[in-house]
Amino acid sequence: MKTLLAFLRQTMLATCAALVPALAGATAYDARLPAEIHTAPRLCDYAPCAEVFPGANDFSERKGRPWYVEAYGERDGRRELLGYVMLSTDITDIPAYSGKPIVTLIGMDKDGRFVGVKILQHSEPILLLGIPESAMVRFNEQYLGKFIGDNIEIGRSRRDENVIGLDAVSGATVTVVAQNQVMMRSGGAVARQVGILDPTVREQARFVERGHAPDWATLVREGSVRRLTVRPDQVGLPRGPEPFIDLWFGYLNQPDVGRAVLGDLSYRNLMNQLGAGEHALFIIRSGGEESFKGSGFVRGGLYDRVQVRQGMDVFTFRDLDYRNLWGVHAAGAPAFDESAIFIVRSESFSAAYPWKLVFLGNRVDRATGHRSFANFDTEYWMPAEYLDGGRPKIVKPDAPWVRIWKMRAVEIALFAGLLVGVATVYAHRDRLTRASTQKNKWPVNAFKYAAWTISIGFVGFYLLAQPSITQVLTWFHALLFQWQWELFLTDPFIFLFWIFIIVTVFLWGRGLFCGWLCPFGSLSEMLYKIGGAIGLKRFQFKLSKPMHDRVKWVKYWVFGILLGTSMFSMGYAEVLAEVEPFKTTFLVGLLNRAWPYTLFAAGLLGLSIFIERPFCKYLCPLGAALAMPSTFRWFGLKRKQECDTCKACAVGCGSLAIDRDGRIDQRECLLCLDCMVLYTDAHACPPLAQERKRRVKAGLELTPIGADGYFIPIKPVAAASGAKAH
Amino acid sequence: MVDPRMPTDPVAPPFAGRGTFAWLAAEAWHHLWPFSREGFARHRIVQAAGIALAASTMVAWFLAGTGRLEAVAIIAWWFGWSVFEVIVRLGAKPWVKEGPWWGRRYRRAHLMDMLCYVGFKNLLIGATLFLALKSAGLLVP
Repeated sequence: MKTLLAFLRQTMLATCAALVPALAGATAYDARLPAEIHTAPRLCDYAPCAEVFPGANDFSERKGRPWYVEAYGERDGRRELLGYVMLSTDITDIPAYSGKPIVTLIGMDKDGRFVGVKILQHSEPILLLGIPESAMVRFNEQYLGKFIGDNIEIGRSRRDENVIGLDAVSGATVTVVAQNQVMMRSGGAVARQVGILDPTVREQARFVERGHAPDWATLVREGSVRRLTVRPDQVGLPRGPEPFIDLWFGYLNQPDVGRAVLGDLSYRNLMNQLGAGEHALFIIRSGGEESFKGSGFVRGGLYDRVQVRQGMDVFTFRDLDYRNLWGVHAAGAPAFDESAIFIVRSESFSAAYPWKLVFLGNRVDRATGHRSFANFDTEYWMPAEYLDGGRPKIVKPDAPWVRIWKMRAVEIALFAGLLVGVATVYAHRDRLTRASTQKNKWPVNAFKYAAWTISIGFVGFYLLAQPSITQVLTWFHALLFQWQWELFLTDPFIFLFWIFIIVTVFLWGRGLFCGWLCPFGSLSEMLYKIGGAIGLKRFQFKLSKPMHDRVKWVKYWVFGILLGTSMFSMGYAEVLAEVEPFKTTFLVGLLNRAWPYTLFAAGLLGLSIFIERPFCKYLCPLGAALAMPSTFRWFGLKRKQECDTCKACAVGCGSLAIDRDGRIDQRECLLCLDCMVLYTDAHACPPLAQERKRRVKAGLELTPIGADGYFIPIKPVAAASGAKAH
Repeated sequence: MVDPRMPTDPVAPPFAGRGTFAWLAAEAWHHLWPFSREGFARHRIVQAAGIALAASTMVAWFLAGTGRLEAVAIIAWWFGWSVFEVIVRLGAKPWVKEGPWWGRRYRRAHLMDMLCYVGFKNLLIGATLFLALKSAGLLVP
């Protein structure tokens, strides 16, 4: 099985690999980096450090925790420290849109200003072909000269809030938001280590001594002792019954907790050794064989497996910060085989505020064997009853996606209003179709054309919110590797659009999205209508029904191939997804792409003048993906028994979705509502027109048309009973 | 005479007229078990292959549960099973539901109807199992 899979994977990759360079040129997309770049002491032997630090010609080994490299140059013949170079994945593993981190090399001078940024490797699908990597390079250039201590965000600058805004990359919002987090967190971590940024000043905790000695279970329940467990599969190892490492930890300065864990004598001894602004915490390992102290620890060095983080401050431990922990006094404590007391020597640390114990590990990619940095943490916050005045109130800054939603609140509200409005109008379609006739469809068309216009201009060209099959594949990818709601919430328009699509596909089928709100579909049909209106009607044509019934399957094959390819390589599936002209039309622009893409998109749009929605009917993989669940939509369009022989609707169906038996193919129907207008038009629907003529001829009343599409029957039964009553 | 109000000819499965709870139970069984007694009898070869494939699928899930199979292989197995289920159902239970899922209207399934039904149903079942395995830490990407 695995051999077969490996063969298929290799075949697929080889085929696509032959195609991609020709299309995309050399890029950092899934670039092969030397394994040593993540571990070797001399980072700059493997990474182009000089490119991100102009003027530097000598670089130190990796130092500090998290790691960074010192960059040196020569001035007046003397070697001089110019700044620092850092590899983002040494510091943070924040994933981007693909679910994988963007490996970035960053240069920062001694004053904390960025001097160079280079993306070494990424897995962002949108940067593979949709948006040129040069756009990302230009985005990164915005950091040059900016100070790491500034409040840098994606979006417009807000001077009153001291926010420096960066221009996003259209169509890659999620990617650049993640990249901004990577830049600021990496730069900030190094800047704090080397003293460019001052540590945060926090008010020290004042403890309440309750005079009791809780047992271990109580300590755990109240949160005075916390647990940090890492499973083998979290670091890329085969799953097993034993954890990779299982740690318990807690803060010891609080008298009740300290005495409970250490016993009275040991607690007093420890406190006597601590100076002002010094804090003790303990760690024990109750499971796993991995050492939290590290097997490579040497005297005078750093403990490189554990650290404490509070806000943006990182506290690491040297040998002088270590004390032996011989035993745990609290009754019921688990057995342990490794233990330590570590001392945080900084007044910026405060036990009154939450902090995290971080275990620093490596994740092994089982496919390639490459190691990448990964950290695992558990938050600790001293229980309120041990703090004088309780826990301080903390206002956490908004998450990036929350800031985006707030920043674009008006546009989001307008967009949500559009979606709700269109759904509401469609839910009342019966009123519109009854108000319309075969000769005058404006009650329906006014809404539909308005939806198209807004969709093309506002949704497509302004918001760039064109749903795409690539999003479906990306979700699939995220489900496999790392699902993060934040990533999807970062693009609010696409997020809302997909909620709308999922709901309406189940209610009415794909037609409401495809036929009314898809920006490209709307543009395509709008061109067809305009073509007809300006005198090109005689050149407009449909495929014959038999031909259409053959060609319509192409889009399902396209979808199937894309889905199959995505099983082996998401990246190459993204390449094949270029069959969608959406990026070219809306995200990048017809004139901003290589000519084959422009020709393809322009060709489809040109063809749309003469054939109604050729892409939607025959090629669109997203349409195919949505058509499949449309088979089970809850509420379809109405038909009459006479439709089996009558061809009136079928002749006028632009989607060619009505077969010779008068049945509607719900997978192909784009809900234009033309057949529903006919359904209640007593002058155009043949069975209705026949009945109308019969009644007129017989001098009978023309009753309203019922929900079944027929005149409400006349039942003259009241006269007899009325006579009896008299 | 063709009924154009249904995309294909209406069908009444054996359980269509049962009481609410019996009908719901039969519906659940219908979704989970693609074989039928009549279909079994008609397709001996398919039956044997089906049992083999079902067994191998269970092995695949078991291997995944013990952390010995990559996620992508699970997906491949599930895909293979789905293809097979389409073939079996076309012979054994060749109908799909029409209209609201809480309704009792059924119709004859063409190949594409069955592809859509099995694909969509197994996507939901597979995703649920996949997420359950993953959240339990039993699946390694």
